[in-house]
Amino acid sequence: MQTSGIFSKWMYLQGIVPIMPAYDEQGALDGLRRLDSHATGAIYDRYFSEVYRYVRYRVGDDTVAEDIASDVFVRLLEASQKRQGPTNSLKGWLIATASNAVNDYLRRQYRRPTEALTESMPDDAASVHMEVDQREQNRIVREAYKHLTPEQQQVLALRFGQGYSLEETAVLMKKNMNAIKALQFRALAALQRKIGEVSHE
Amino acid sequence: MNNIYEILEKCLIEIEQGADVDTVLFTYPEFADELRPILETSIKAMDMAAPEPSIVMVQINRTELLKRAAQMREAKVKSASRFWSVSLRRMAVTFIMLVALFVSGTGLVRASSNTIPGDNLYPVKRTWEDVLLLFTFNPQQREQLEFEHENERLEELNELIAEGRSAIKVDFAGYVTSQSETELRVSGIPVILSPQTVLPDQPVTVGAPVRIVGLTQGDGTVLAERVELLPVGAKLPEVNDDESEFEEENHDEQDPQIDGNSNSGSDDESPEIDETESPEDESETSGTNAPKGEFEIKDISFEGRLESIDSRNMVWTVSGQKLNVSSAEINGNPVIGAVVKVEGYYNSDDIFVVKKIEIISGSNASGNLDDDSNDNSNDNSNDDHEEDDDNNNNNHN
Repeated sequence: MQTSGIFSKWMYLQGIVPIMPAYDEQGALDGLRRLDSHATGAIYDRYFSEVYRYVRYRVGDDTVAEDIASDVFVRLLEASQKRQGPTNSLKGWLIATASNAVNDYLRRQYRRPTEALTESMPDDAASVHMEVDQREQNRIVREAYKHLTPEQQQVLALRFGQGYSLEETAVLMKKNMNAIKALQFRALAALQRKIGEVSHE
Repeated sequence: MNNIYEILEKCLIEIEQGADVDTVLFTYPEFADELRPILETSIKAMDMAAPEPSIVMVQINRTELLKRAAQMREAKVKSASRFWSVSLRRMAVTFIMLVALFVSGTGLVRASSNTIPGDNLYPVKRTWEDVLLLFTFNPQQREQLEFEHENERLEELNELIAEGRSAIKVDFAGYVTSQSETELRVSGIPVILSPQTVLPDQPVTVGAPVRIVGLTQGDGTVLAERVELLPVGAKLPEVNDDESEFEEENHDEQDPQIDGNSNSGSDDESPEIDETESPEDESETSGTNAPKGEFEIKDISFEGRLESIDSRNMVWTVSGQKLNVSSAEINGNPVIGAVVKVEGYYNSDDIFVVKKIEIISGSNASGNLDDDSNDNSNDNSNDDHEEDDDNNNNNHN
């Protein structure tokens, strides 16, 4: 292990491959409490994409997803200084925090609804009929998705947005697997109904 | 119902692996109608999956996050240093307070060192003495300290008397140098006994160590409230009884037989007188600066023959001299006719109080004072013989 580490370093020094230190979650958490730059950067590099894609799936907006995902990591820094940060599953803590942040965002959106121009307005460049249909289809699904319960949204985001397994989704949502199976069935059935309702509007 | 959830999960896994809906449902024809719309919706849900964030966006947010971490780290260090600076400041203030307390405390003790009873700072002085005693664990040092404190009490009392301050409560210890029914003289201080004075059960005798608690009076005496007998051998201040010395001087004039310089012409057997007066004492008694009538007790020693022993009254007669041996240290076996060496002093009642008596030689002929053979062992036997002859001659005369 040590030899391979030295070899990797040699290769890195020779410019053959970039050095990729092994990620140690516990070490990263310890470093995070000390606000160590390397540890903070390592955690960000490992989880930002997942958090962003989860948020993006649920809110359907790049900018909002970027803001919320970034805010999740700032909250992680602050929580680690208050001894309220994650102790075991960093990913679980990040996804849970992201879910809460999204729910807060959606509640605010519900009180002050705004039209999402990016997906609702047709693009002048989308002159091709198929592309227009696809965009329209996406808009309908997105609109139907918004009408699901937060729990249904979350299970769809984790299972189909993130591609997590049933077991992983069960852990993150703190439910047993049978409950997740039933929840995902009801969520898909509800989304299907809502797509029909939105299509007929 | 659980069954359809299981089948849905299996179908979703197959679709995720690349199978299409028809192929998947072919395996479960009885659920095909129910699952088809669900599976088609799941594909739409999968299509909603967000793409990977752009590298630029990721890098920008990464930089922002690290900057934030650095700010928090800096704030934390400042907070820690502020904590230490506050702590250090508190420690410094505490230290200064302690130093101030210590300095003012020692200053107070120093200021109180010259106080006498009745002064405002006198309790500080006594408390400080108690504190010193409390932290002195060596028995010898403790005894010495107590002795110094007793000396201090006497000095304070003399100062009070000199200033004529009355009704000041005093507490001192010393040896009784004279006594009467209404008065004791303790370490040269006249102590008045009143009916209210609490006396010890045992009689207070001359030479006994006592503690006096009482009130000063304007006439230089102390009105005793309580007299306590102290254990024999207690280390007490040295006696400096002016009155005893005065009486001693008078006694010397009246009784030439114990005056080493004028023992001729005496009717009694004249013992050798050996005054152990210190040079300082001599200068005081003979010096022109010494006030008339003021002198100290002189320790006197002499040798003579033991003529009688009155055990009941503790009175021995040596060479015609009545001696009070109640508080004497007796070395040897006293027999009538023995040559003894006596050390003692005259008290104010003109009684010779023996401090130490040593039997130099035993008697070969008890009670025969004229027997020359008794003096064979004595270095001064010839002198004694001559003295005896002189005495006999005087008696005849």
